[in-house]
Amino acid sequence: MTAALRAELFKQRSTRTGLGLFGAMLVLILFVVLLHGLGVDAGNFDSSSKQISVLFGWGEYLGALFAALLGAMSITGEIRHGTIRPTFLVNPRRQRVVAAKVWASMLIATGFGFAAGAVAAGAGTAALRTRGINVLLDAGDYTLLIAGSAAAAALWAAIGVGVGAIVRNQVPALVGIVVWFLFVENLLVGDLAGVGAVGRLMPAAAGKAISGQNPETLLAPTVALALLALYAAAIAVAGARAASRRDVA
Amino acid sequence: MTGDGAAARAMVDRDLLETSASKDILPRDAVVRVQGLTKRYDDVLAVDDITFSLEPGTVTGFLGPNGAGKTTTLRMLLGLAEPTSGEALVFGRRYRELDQPARRVGAVLESNDFDPGRSGRDHLRALALAAGIPSSRVDEVLELVELAANADRRVRTYSLGMRQRLGLAAALLGDPELLVLDEPANGLDPVGVHWLRSFLRRFAEGGRTVLVSSHLLAEVAQAVDQVMIIEGGRLVAATRLDELTRGGQTLEEVYLRLIARSAS
Repeated sequence: MTAALRAELFKQRSTRTGLGLFGAMLVLILFVVLLHGLGVDAGNFDSSSKQISVLFGWGEYLGALFAALLGAMSITGEIRHGTIRPTFLVNPRRQRVVAAKVWASMLIATGFGFAAGAVAAGAGTAALRTRGINVLLDAGDYTLLIAGSAAAAALWAAIGVGVGAIVRNQVPALVGIVVWFLFVENLLVGDLAGVGAVGRLMPAAAGKAISGQNPETLLAPTVALALLALYAAAIAVAGARAASRRDVA
Repeated sequence: MTGDGAAARAMVDRDLLETSASKDILPRDAVVRVQGLTKRYDDVLAVDDITFSLEPGTVTGFLGPNGAGKTTTLRMLLGLAEPTSGEALVFGRRYRELDQPARRVGAVLESNDFDPGRSGRDHLRALALAAGIPSSRVDEVLELVELAANADRRVRTYSLGMRQRLGLAAALLGDPELLVLDEPANGLDPVGVHWLRSFLRRFAEGGRTVLVSSHLLAEVAQAVDQVMIIEGGRLVAATRLDELTRGGQTLEEVYLRLIARSAS
C-alpha cells in the first residue's frame, strides 16, 4: 500500500497537469470572488451568513470542484494514455491501485481546498474593505471556511476517483462532474425539489455546509462532513470494484 | 529439465501440442500454462479453447493475422482480461495472484502507453516505486535499451523506436524471467528490428523465456525457436520452427497454408 501510494504521489508531481489545475483554480476563484465582492449590491452583505454564502463560499465550492476533477483525472488520464496497462501489470491488485489513487488525490486535494479557502477569504476581505463594507466574519467563521474547504475538497477528490474509475472515459467523466456541480445540483435538485428538502442532502450542498455556508437551509457542518464522507466512501468503493471487475482494454 | 537438450526439446514439442484432455502430464515447471482458454465478447468468440505451455529458455513466436486473438490471449495471460472459461497460469498461478509480478514477468502490450507530458525516466520511476524496485535499476534499464541520453525528455518528443525501447525498459525493470511482447516490431526500422532480435536472443540465452506476438513473419522467423499460429481464435499449429519448416518450406509458406485451411 505504501509503495502504491508513493507511486501515485510521484505520478501526480511528475507531470504539469496538477499544477495547471491548481493555477486554473486559483485564477477562477480570484476572478469570481473579486467580481462578487466588488460588484454585488452592498445590501447582500449585511450579515456574516450572507457574506459567506454570496462571497466567501466560492473558495470551498470551486476548490471542491477542482479537487473532484483532479481525482477523476488521476485514473481517466491513465486510461486515456494507456499507462493503466503498465500500472495494473506492476500491481494487479487493482482495488489497491484505486485506493492509492484515492489517498493520493485526497492528500493533494487537501492542499487545493486549503489554498482555495484561504484565497477566497483574502480576496473577499480585500474586496469588501475596498468598498468600505464591514467584514462581519469572526475568527471562527474564517477557520470553518478554510478548514471546511480543505475537508470538502479532500472528500470530493475521493468522489472524483470513484467517478473516474466507473466512467473511465475522460471527457464524459470530467464534463459529468462539472455539469453536476454547476447545473444538476443547483438547478434541478436545489430549485425544483427545494433546497431544504432534498437539495441539502446532495454532495455539493454538503460540501458547502461543511464550510459554514447557508446554515439556515443546509446541514450543520459536522453532519454534512459525515454525510459527504459517506458519499465519498460509497463512490470510491464502487469505483474500486468496477476497476477490479472489468477488463482493461 | 535442464540436462539433455534433445530430450528437453522433445518435451517442448509434445507439450505444445497437448490437447486439453491430457492436462496432468503437462510439465510442472512450465513458465506459462494455458488450458482451454476461451474469451467470448457477446456473440464473438475471440479466443476459442486454446491450450499450450511454455518451457524455460524458449523464445516462442505467437503468430496470426490481425484480429486472430493474439492480443486477447496475452491480455488474459497477464490478468488484464478475465477468461470466459479455461485458465492461464504464469509460474503456476493466475497473474493477478502473483506476488511482485514485475519481478517475474515483464510485458509490453502497446507501443505508446505513456503520459506524453512525463519524462521517460519518470515513467520508469513511477513503475519502480509501485513495484518496490530501487531507482538505481531505472538507470540500468535505460542503459540497457540505449535511452539514457534521452531519459529526461518528455515522451511527447520521442520517436516510435524510442517509445518501443522505453516500453521494453519498463518491462525489464524487475529483471523478469518471462518477457511477453505484443507486436514489438511494429513500426521499427531495420536497425531497430535487428536490435530487438538480438536482444531477445540474449535474454533467452540465460534460461529465460520470451513470448512474442507478431503478424510480421520475416521479423519473427530469425528470432524464435518455436511458433504458435492462431487464426479465428483457434490454435492451428504449435511446434518448433525447424519441425514446421522441415519439408523445405519457409515459415511464410506453412503459415499461409495453415491460415487458408483454417479459413475454409
